[in-house]
Amino acid sequence: MKGLHLAGIYKDFGSVRAVENIKLDFAEGELTALLGPSGCGKTTLLRMIAGLEMPSGGSILLGEDNITALAAHKRRFGMVFQNFALFPHLSVRENVVYSLVIAGTSKSDAIDTGERLLDLVQLSGYGDRRIGELSGGQRQRVAIARALAQEPEVFLLDEPMSALDAKLREDMQVELRLLQQRLGITTIVVTHDQREAMTMADKIVVMSQGRVEQVGPPQQIYHRPENAFVADFIGKANFFDGVVEAGKVRVGQSLLELKTPAEFISGSPVQIACRPETPYLDSDGIAGSRLKASVTFVRDVGPVRDIHLQTEIGPMIVEYARGETERSFTVGQETIVTLPVEGLHVFPRNERAAA
Amino acid sequence: MSAASQVVVPMTVAAAAKRPPLARIAIWVVTLFLCLTPFLLVIVISFGHKVEGASWEWAFSLDNYQRVFVGANWPDEVTFLYLQKLYYSLYYAVIASVLAVLTAFPFTYLMTGLSKRAQSVWLVFILSSLSLSEVFIVMGWDVLLSNRSGLPMVFKATGLTQWLKDVGWFDTLRDWGLANPRNVKFKTSVFATVLTMAYLVWPYAVILLYPPLSRLDRSMTEAARTMGAGPWTVIRTVVLPAVRLPLIGSVLLLFVFLLGVYVAVTVFAEPAKQTMAVSVYEAVRGNTLNAPFGSAQAVILLLTAGLFLTLGQWLTRRNAS
Repeated sequence: MKGLHLAGIYKDFGSVRAVENIKLDFAEGELTALLGPSGCGKTTLLRMIAGLEMPSGGSILLGEDNITALAAHKRRFGMVFQNFALFPHLSVRENVVYSLVIAGTSKSDAIDTGERLLDLVQLSGYGDRRIGELSGGQRQRVAIARALAQEPEVFLLDEPMSALDAKLREDMQVELRLLQQRLGITTIVVTHDQREAMTMADKIVVMSQGRVEQVGPPQQIYHRPENAFVADFIGKANFFDGVVEAGKVRVGQSLLELKTPAEFISGSPVQIACRPETPYLDSDGIAGSRLKASVTFVRDVGPVRDIHLQTEIGPMIVEYARGETERSFTVGQETIVTLPVEGLHVFPRNERAAA
Repeated sequence: MSAASQVVVPMTVAAAAKRPPLARIAIWVVTLFLCLTPFLLVIVISFGHKVEGASWEWAFSLDNYQRVFVGANWPDEVTFLYLQKLYYSLYYAVIASVLAVLTAFPFTYLMTGLSKRAQSVWLVFILSSLSLSEVFIVMGWDVLLSNRSGLPMVFKATGLTQWLKDVGWFDTLRDWGLANPRNVKFKTSVFATVLTMAYLVWPYAVILLYPPLSRLDRSMTEAARTMGAGPWTVIRTVVLPAVRLPLIGSVLLLFVFLLGVYVAVTVFAEPAKQTMAVSVYEAVRGNTLNAPFGSAQAVILLLTAGLFLTLGQWLTRRNAS
């Protein structure tokens, strides 16, 4: 198997640029998630990789081979579609071995491969059924088996979980990840669900408005967002507008301590992001900015509680996991919130608004 | 509300409920009369006797049907003249309907891949072509295929006829009845008849195929492409099976429609290869003025259409199951 390399790929639809100058490497055997909101260009990028859309510019390399102009049926990348796109006129087995049959594989070999793949996706004994007789989860397994039948060098999945219910989706995320690890196949998954991306991916590519915002492992994307868009799109965050002042950031009357990057000079307008699970309430001995706050609302959803606060620098949500603190909070209660230095991320102002 | 109106309203409702639905019955009677009377009359007349002077009288005779199947002089003499006409009816209708659907299919498939606006323009254009009458279309094709002013003259003027002679294909065309010793000729021929009949129903074929093809899930064809299927393999293994039933239905519908085509056959078919529809018209309004015999042929044509529709429905059901 070979890695995939995108060099300056872009795509125009009329006067609209759907995908902008994408440079990405998909390492061999790695699962990469293209993550972003609807209309960010992630599916268009996947379709260009599959050969279903021709890029307006740039090149796609598979190993050393330039496959930019190669037709989809000659690339033979396995692809799972959002609606699975199974053939209703064929049985489950015939769907799975479709690529083998049209390639001229002997009937006995195709049947053997079909049974092996159905076994792989835990659908042994379903070969003779019609597609209409399967549940959503079973259809997805058939679509995966069908895409894997031709032993593709790159495995592409376009929102593969979106047609499944929430419970099944979580199970299938784990199952798909385990299957991909077992096969060691280079895989690209398009999703708008950050939880899905974080569950399955070795690497996440966050996209917005046709551009790549950040590339990195899931934990890096979550804990070290490179810009306000990523901080906002991946997980939840409290945002505050401020101005850099002697290595700190002034927000209203408060001066917050944080690791300000060197490029911010005094007077620069900035935005601060703070994950809701990073602040401490009424905790001494934590290095960081301490602010007075009052509780305005408590949202208890079982495993976690969201405590809504009104602070000196504006409204803020603090998330406490059950068991992390047994303290109870009531509306109107006064408290001290500590924002740890390493829990605050600073970005140039207006970046999030622009995104 | 006053007390009086409170009483009146329930009484009116009750009266309306009890009143026989005269309007509904009247609509049924008129509809049945309009739909069934012509058919019933034709069936009744087909068993009647011809009266000289273009009239007929009531009877229950199978002579007309006997004449269609084995000739008027059976058992002394057996002729299959009218069965031959029925054969040509089926022959032209089958080929023309299949040809129309086969050529309309790729056009419609490509059309459904265009933008919505382009699709609308094409559909309006095709729908507007339906306003052309059979006579108008046949007249156009008559001119186009005529030996003195149509395509044969183009063949001769451009040297195509000479080229066909040089490469030796001209003799083949003569064998097929599409050339005389001097030039190609399209009138009269099966080729011209079938071509014009296919042209007549081609817009109907597009309109019948458009809904199933526009509803076809394009991700299925894309999935096939990612699995190594080239364009023809995609058509053969995905698109055609997905629209198999609408294709059969379209062929059947156009076939039944073409069984009754009159003008195109009279203009383009050889006298010996005329259809039963032409024979019906000749019997009823032509020289023979034999309404019972024309009616018997019409009934047989109707039963043939019904037979093919039933067969098609049976095939469709078998495929669906």
